[in-house]
Amino acid sequence: MSVKELPRKEANVLNGHEGAVLAARFNSDGNYCLSCGKDRTIRLWNPHRGIHIKTYKAHGREVRDVHVTPDNSKLCSCGGDRQIFFWDVSTGRVIRKFRGHDGEVNAVKFNEYASVVVSAGYDRSLRAWDCRSHSTEPIQIIDSFLDTVMSVCLTKTEIIGGSVDGTVRTFDIRIGREISDDLGQPVNCISMSNDGNCILASCLDSTLRLLDRSTGELLQEYKGHTCKSYKMDCCLTNNDAHVIGGSEDGSIFFWDLVDASVVSKFRAHSSVVTSVSYHPKDNCMITSSVDGTVRVWKQ
Amino acid sequence: MDSDEEDYVFFGKPIEREEEITNRRKKAAAEASGNLRSLPPWKQEVRDEEGRRRFHGAFTGGFSAGYFNTVGTKEGWAPQSFTSSRKNRAEVKQQSIFNFLDEDEKTELESQNLGTSSQFDTFGFTAAEYARKQANKEQKQRPSAIPGPVPDELILPASESIGVKLLLKMGWRRGRAIKDLHASSLYDARREARKAFLAFASEDTKASHPTDFEPVEGEPENFLAQPADDDAQSSQSLPVFVINPKQDLHGLGYDPFKHAPEFREKKRSRLSNDKQHGYRKAISIKDSLFGSKSGKAASGFGIGALEEFDAEDEDIYAAGYDFEETVIEEDEEPSRLSVESKKKAVRKDQGVLRGFKVATVSDYQLERFDPPIIPKDFVPHHKFPGPLETLKKLDVPSPPEVPPPDDNNLKLLIEGVATLVARCGKLFEDLSRKKNQSNPLFSFLSGGNGHDYYDRKLWEEHQKRGDQAKLSLDGKLSPSVQKMTAENRGKLLGEKPLERSSRETTSSSVASGDFVQLQFNLSDTFKKPESFNELPEVAKPFKDDPAKQERFEQFLKEKYEGGLRSMGSSAASNMSEAARAHERLDFEAAAEAIEKGKRGKESLISEQPFDFLATGMQFTSGVQEVKDTHAENLMTKKMYPRREEFQWRPLPVLCKRFDLIDPFMGKPPPAPRMRSKIDSLLFMPDYVKGAKLEEDLVTNRDVPVAQTDAQKTIEDVAGKEIEVAAENVERPVDLYKAIFSDDSDEDVEDINTKKVEDQEKKIEVATTTLNRLIAGDFLESLGKELGLEVPPDMPYSTNNVSTPTQKETPNGENAILSPLEGRTFCAPKSVSGTSLNPGQETAQDGELAKNESIPGRSVRYSSKYPDGLSENISGKVNMEKIAQEDKKGKSSSRHQRNWSSSSSSEDERSRKQSRRHRYRSSDSYSDSASDHHDRYRSRSKGRRKKSSREKSSSSRKHSKHHKHRNRDSPSRSHQVSEREHSEARKEKRIRRD
Repeated sequence: MSVKELPRKEANVLNGHEGAVLAARFNSDGNYCLSCGKDRTIRLWNPHRGIHIKTYKAHGREVRDVHVTPDNSKLCSCGGDRQIFFWDVSTGRVIRKFRGHDGEVNAVKFNEYASVVVSAGYDRSLRAWDCRSHSTEPIQIIDSFLDTVMSVCLTKTEIIGGSVDGTVRTFDIRIGREISDDLGQPVNCISMSNDGNCILASCLDSTLRLLDRSTGELLQEYKGHTCKSYKMDCCLTNNDAHVIGGSEDGSIFFWDLVDASVVSKFRAHSSVVTSVSYHPKDNCMITSSVDGTVRVWKQ
Repeated sequence: MDSDEEDYVFFGKPIEREEEITNRRKKAAAEASGNLRSLPPWKQEVRDEEGRRRFHGAFTGGFSAGYFNTVGTKEGWAPQSFTSSRKNRAEVKQQSIFNFLDEDEKTELESQNLGTSSQFDTFGFTAAEYARKQANKEQKQRPSAIPGPVPDELILPASESIGVKLLLKMGWRRGRAIKDLHASSLYDARREARKAFLAFASEDTKASHPTDFEPVEGEPENFLAQPADDDAQSSQSLPVFVINPKQDLHGLGYDPFKHAPEFREKKRSRLSNDKQHGYRKAISIKDSLFGSKSGKAASGFGIGALEEFDAEDEDIYAAGYDFEETVIEEDEEPSRLSVESKKKAVRKDQGVLRGFKVATVSDYQLERFDPPIIPKDFVPHHKFPGPLETLKKLDVPSPPEVPPPDDNNLKLLIEGVATLVARCGKLFEDLSRKKNQSNPLFSFLSGGNGHDYYDRKLWEEHQKRGDQAKLSLDGKLSPSVQKMTAENRGKLLGEKPLERSSRETTSSSVASGDFVQLQFNLSDTFKKPESFNELPEVAKPFKDDPAKQERFEQFLKEKYEGGLRSMGSSAASNMSEAARAHERLDFEAAAEAIEKGKRGKESLISEQPFDFLATGMQFTSGVQEVKDTHAENLMTKKMYPRREEFQWRPLPVLCKRFDLIDPFMGKPPPAPRMRSKIDSLLFMPDYVKGAKLEEDLVTNRDVPVAQTDAQKTIEDVAGKEIEVAAENVERPVDLYKAIFSDDSDEDVEDINTKKVEDQEKKIEVATTTLNRLIAGDFLESLGKELGLEVPPDMPYSTNNVSTPTQKETPNGENAILSPLEGRTFCAPKSVSGTSLNPGQETAQDGELAKNESIPGRSVRYSSKYPDGLSENISGKVNMEKIAQEDKKGKSSSRHQRNWSSSSSSEDERSRKQSRRHRYRSSDSYSDSASDHHDRYRSRSKGRRKKSSREKSSSSRKHSKHHKHRNRDSPSRSHQVSEREHSEARKEKRIRRD
């Protein structure tokens, strides 16, 4: 993919959140997107037409992360109220609330079958919650982290968490093994490459690091942006050719995956870019920011 | 009346006279009209329409309540009469609150309703409506000629005269003057024009304008025509207050002209002047003001307490001119202009042509250019770019442009190599040169065909890379640390550059001597190709022997770098194992010395016992330090990312939800055991550990071919210490007798299966069990030894074991197998399996001696063999075992070492290993192990059905056999038994799974 094909033109601005938007996520097919923010709401949008579809309100505090099942039927969200909410998308009702974290919850993810929600919390733990049974107790607590867990990724067989203690820990369920990759810098966000072989970790020393998952080798470092105090997302393009990250000055950076050069950079928001999410198929990207907007970018 | 009251005493309430009442009424009316409202609230009295004071309720004085202080009504006190709803259903009366309210309460209630007041009833509709209602009401009350209500259409009380209506229709609004609007506008226009003329005609318009203006100001009043019949609205209608907005900076209500009304008049005229003229005059005045602003204060302002006006204190009315100006200024400023726009206007004014007016709204905006934004990471002092680039540019003259060689393939090759070299450093060049010595294609490396082109390409690549590096240069790192490569460091110090081309091309075909030369070059110029920088700085302790030095470097590389081990290639093939091991030890020592030297930061080179100093290094300690920091930087960089692995137990539910098989098969996690104190105390004295650790390093390298000899030598060293350890072990061994007592009957069956099992695995399992037992079961065994009942809590050993025992106990004959007797065989086993190196003859002998003392017990143990089949096999197996003894000894010792060195994670790992074995035994060893498994199954089933008599007989047979065997080789037997034991465990696990 050449540089020209990168999504750099603003296609839509999704206004509606009052206050900072903390996360914006595409759904699995990329037709819709979800955003959540400090105004304690989750909003469902059609980013391509710029339409606000629905608002989900139940959280008592800011909503920090949201994730939707592959079949678009359920949502999970988490935030400052220490709970994980399990929503029905169409009715907008909360099906279940999972309580148990002793602190704010930073990230949630569904597993492949949407049977488990895994959450990462300020209480230094990853917790897995069962969506199928009616139990609201966690079915697994992983508390080997030494500091806040900021981000979580799931594969078919693994749970991967990134923590402020500088580690990215992979919990392989198949072999019952925990693999800890110490990066030496607080990890802000992790995201997996689309081929599943690498992990992109955003560290608080304003560096994105690309790790080989099988060997734990540091493949590349991406620098140039500012990321020192905010939880900011990073991601790869859907063809794994470029790395995308936001900056605290509101810019979006595109790096070449291989040689780590800044391929493109533009100012997208007036304030900190909290989240970037890339369309699973098209050259489209959404970014959210503290300035309260979600912007849709196309090439 | 007053005088009368003084003279007489009155009883009762005087009857009020008519006049008084009327008086009071008048008073009330007056009050109602608002006279009394002027009184403060506490003096006002509440009175009803009769003028009486009216209070409600007993608590407030109770002047008047209800109907004249009764509960009655005007109509008298009568309950609402009952009317039967049978006859007149429709007349069910809806009660409302108004049925129960007094008159005054009603009015009060009504007063709360919103309604249009006639004052603002512009079109008089509400008034008309009201009047109609009123008429209706009156109509009802008075008798009329026409019965019934008058139809609305007939009587319409007029609230407005027709004139007003007409005017309204014509567009007149209340509060406007009635005059010819059109005419007036014409008049205005004319007047404006005249004014403009005047303004242009003379600069000094001040005099003429006031006269011109007065009528204009007063105009509305003059021309105001009263609406014909209007009810006092017209007088109020002219919004006088509107023309008088607050424009000054005085406080609300403050009148600077309070005592000098003539000035007000003056000011007003001035004001109107300004309105006509725009800002021009005001500004010109202001200009003069700017010049002499200093000691001027408006007289109107007064003098604040904090102001210090000594001279001006008395001067309330300053010079008239000044005074006027200030007034104007005050008026002008707030109303329109900010300071900035004023300035702008000034500037514009100067360029205005006579006869033209400055546009009030101009398209021209003062364009402002923001100062350039300083980048956030800008450091306000100059930073010299990394030495790499500058030096390279300055010092390395670019090789001349050379046309590429004709051969396109060669050209491609050269370019490729150049890129790689630029990226990987000189080492790559050296390597490829060495490798491709014979290959004519690569002759350009050593000065052959295309060498010039290669040089040029290489230089270009370097430039390119340098630029890239500059791009990515981060401000945080200090440049010296960041870009200090060996080459530019050398250049800084003025060394002769290690140019491959310069020296080595002299001998165009470099043979093996090239390598040696390279080594010398390296050490001489203290240069390192970039890839080598990864290593901590390597000193050259074996400089006299380049081959050895190379091996040493290789060794270091492996030690610090990890990655692929290329031992096979680097190791000299002609070295003996012993020599190699010796060398390795040397290397270890040297590496350690280097490490130490580095830690002590100062130029420890002088103290380092390395002979490379003798060759005349021209470097000072400073260089060394630079290199050290560089190396350290690299080291820290190398530290991350760091990978560690731990065991982790996913819960079964999680596995289920993820649709995976639980790797732990739902087994509960092992009970936390007390660790390390006992085993390290008993089995692992520190010095032993140290030796083993070191050795572990070696063994971990795991080169199957080259390893053995080196190990042997060290094993010799370690073995001695192990012996010592064995001595320590001796005592607790006795205690362990207790542990295995219950296992006895398990082992009975396993004697059949053991022969095919892999030796190594058995030992691993044995160590596993032992390790588990060492710490956790120590107390338990103690308890058993003392005859106490200790509840079995070990999931692997004791629990499973106990079930078969229970099974057997019903058999009377098995009574012989008291737990105490069974113990013996395990005790020696534990010794041999763990701490004792079986390959070690000395230790073995010691053990043998010990074991000799307890043959009888082991005999009893063996009596439990269930069937005759096992007799032969066991004999055979025994022989095999002996034959394999040596091999096993070696392997076991290695495992043992693993165990001892990685004591922390050892337990887990060993269990893992055993698990792995379990799986493997069902896969790769399927022909053997699973076979056994089946056999075992069937046999055990069958055995359960067997009569006790059979068993007893067989057992007796076995006992005989074992006696014999034991006499043969007691030591072997206990070794065997150990294996059996481990076997038993394995079998058990399989069965459980």
